[in-house]
Parts: sequence; structure tokens; C-alpha cells
Amino acid sequence: MVFLAKAALGLGATMAVAGAYVFQEGVIRVDVDENRADGSHVHFWVPATTVSAALRLAPRHCLEDTATKARPFLPVLREISKELEKYPNAELVEVQDWTDHVRVAMVNGKLEIDAVGNDEVVHVRLPAETIRHVADRLEDAAPGI
Amino acid sequence: MNQSPRGLLGFLPTTALVACSLLPPLATAQTSSNSEEWIHVRVESREDKTKTVRVNVPVEMAVKVLPAIKNKNLCDGKVHIDSGHLDDVDLHTMLDALRIAKDGEYVTVQSKEDDVRVAKSAGFLYIHVTEKKPSDKAAKATGDKDSAAKSTTAKESKVEVKVPMKVVDALLSAGKDELNVVAALRALSANGDMELVSVKDDDNTVRVWIDSKSVAN
Repeated sequence: MVFLAKAALGLGATMAVAGAYVFQEGVIRVDVDENRADGSHVHFWVPATTVSAALRLAPRHCLEDTATKARPFLPVLREISKELEKYPNAELVEVQDWTDHVRVAMVNGKLEIDAVGNDEVVHVRLPAETIRHVADRLEDAAPGI
Repeated sequence: MNQSPRGLLGFLPTTALVACSLLPPLATAQTSSNSEEWIHVRVESREDKTKTVRVNVPVEMAVKVLPAIKNKNLCDGKVHIDSGHLDDVDLHTMLDALRIAKDGEYVTVQSKEDDVRVAKSAGFLYIHVTEKKPSDKAAKATGDKDSAAKSTTAKESKVEVKVPMKVVDALLSAGKDELNVVAALRALSANGDMELVSVKDDDNTVRVWIDSKSVAN
């Protein structure tokens, strides 16, 4: 009985630690809804840590092509993400007219991009830390940097 | 009964570990940025109040990000001006003369079409332009005589710019044919809260100002 209790405690603690590690960076969330008859609806969320981990584990040659294409933008991306982390709660851009509403804001350390229009609704939630990890990893993989 | 304290002791480090792993994001979320200066841009349509553009950018972020942008005319936080536009005017000499000069009104133009005023006062450069234009929109739309009569009424479009001289100096610190935007932003940030640009015309109102609030009121 005691053995079972210890095993359960160990398993529970491991799961708690694993869960805390996986979700420490937050969650990436993407929602896209096209408002037409055959419009697509994409909804997914993924722990941000998995993106960082995947970039770390991915073979270098697989990232090189993407890194080369993104190279001109990587320094800007890295600086923006580093700076965004300093402003965890801030409204950055808001554009509103009769039909469309676009909003870019930082909420609790996450970059929130909302684009609501008649035809399409897009919501993206992305931790700023993850953007920095992606920029850092791609810079490492980019040849000639 | 003997197992309970040992189980608790075993559980405590795990709990502490989980707590520690969660602490950094919470600590980051509590970081305040109230002491920073922010540049705000607001564009509002006069006809349709629902049309608005609001941009709020921390000055420090702009100062860090701008040098990372390598564009045709923007490099290392400096904007390159096509020398063709500056051939006739030595901008540096002109502004240097303005900096040394005493406070006063330097340019005053009053005409049927425009009023222009350039002045220097208490370390600030003021540029006020008022464009007077007949509102022929209504006349064109309806074509009746009343509207045609109204079209003779002049409608004003006002542009007001207020810039600290220190910012002008910083802007020109890069050398000929270049404007040092990063240095200007630093100087602007050091100057504190102020309204920089105000444009009011028939269609839109535009405001650019700097303050320590992260949200535009």
C-alpha cells in the first residue's frame, strides 16, 4: 500500500514537473475563421516550449534554408522580441474602421494579434519569449552570421 | 503515521521545484514600464468617428529596433536624404543659425491660400501652417446654387509642429544628407511629456505626442 502511494506520488510529481516545464513558456494559439460557405476554420494551440525544443532538436541543414530567407529580418525580430518582453501589458497598434478591426497588443507577456473583418477573423497569441527563441535559433542556423 | 511526515518531506522539494519553475513568468508579468516614455500617434476620421488608428510605441523600443533595420534609406537608425533635395539649402547652417539666434518669429507668411509661421521660443521650434481652401465638396456633390455659395467659404487645414531645439540638433548630428532618428528619439525622450504634431483638416485629425503613459487617452 505504501509502495503504491509512493509510486503514485512519484508519478504525480513527475507529471506536475513535466507539465510545469512544458507550459512554462505559455501556449501558442492560432484561430482562423473564414466567414463564407466553404470557408476554413483553423483552431490550434501548442505549448510554446515544444516550438523552442523542436528548433533546438531540428537538424541544422533543415533550418538553413529558412534561416537564409529570413536573415534580413532576424536582427529586427530579435530586437523586437527582446523589447516586447519588457512591456508585458501594452496596446501597440489599433486600427478600426466600419468593417475591420486590427489590434496588436502585449497581454501578460504574450503578443496578441487580432484581425476581425467581414470575411475573416484571425486571432494569434504568441509568447514574446518564443519569438526571441525562434530568432536566436534561426540566427544560429543562418550561414554567414 | 510514521510515513506521513516522510511523504510530506519528499513532496516539499517537488512542490518547491514546480513553484520555482512557475515564478519567472509571473515575475516578468509584474515588470512595470510606467517610467518609460511612449510615442503616441492617433488618427481619427472627422466624418466617421469609428475610423481610428492608434499607435503606441515605447521610445526605448524604437531606439533599439531602428538600428537593426537595414533599408534603402534607413540604416543604423539614420535616414539618408537624397542629396538632390538639399542642394539648394544648407540645412545644417540654417538650423545652426536658428539655434544661436534669439527667440522670435522668423517666418510669417499671410496670404489668401496659406498662413505660415515659423518661430523659436524657450528652446522650442514652432511651425504653424494654416491652409485655407474652399470646400467645393458639397457644391460638386449637389450642384445647386446654395452649395455653390457655401463653397466660397474657406475651410482651414491646420498643421502645428512643436519640436525642442535639442531634438533638431540631435536629428542633424549624423552629418550632411542624413538625419539621426535614433539620437532625435533619445533627445525627445529626455525632454519629457509634450505634444509634437497636430494636424486638423476636413477629413482627419492627427496627433503625435510623447508621454509616460503606455495607453493613449
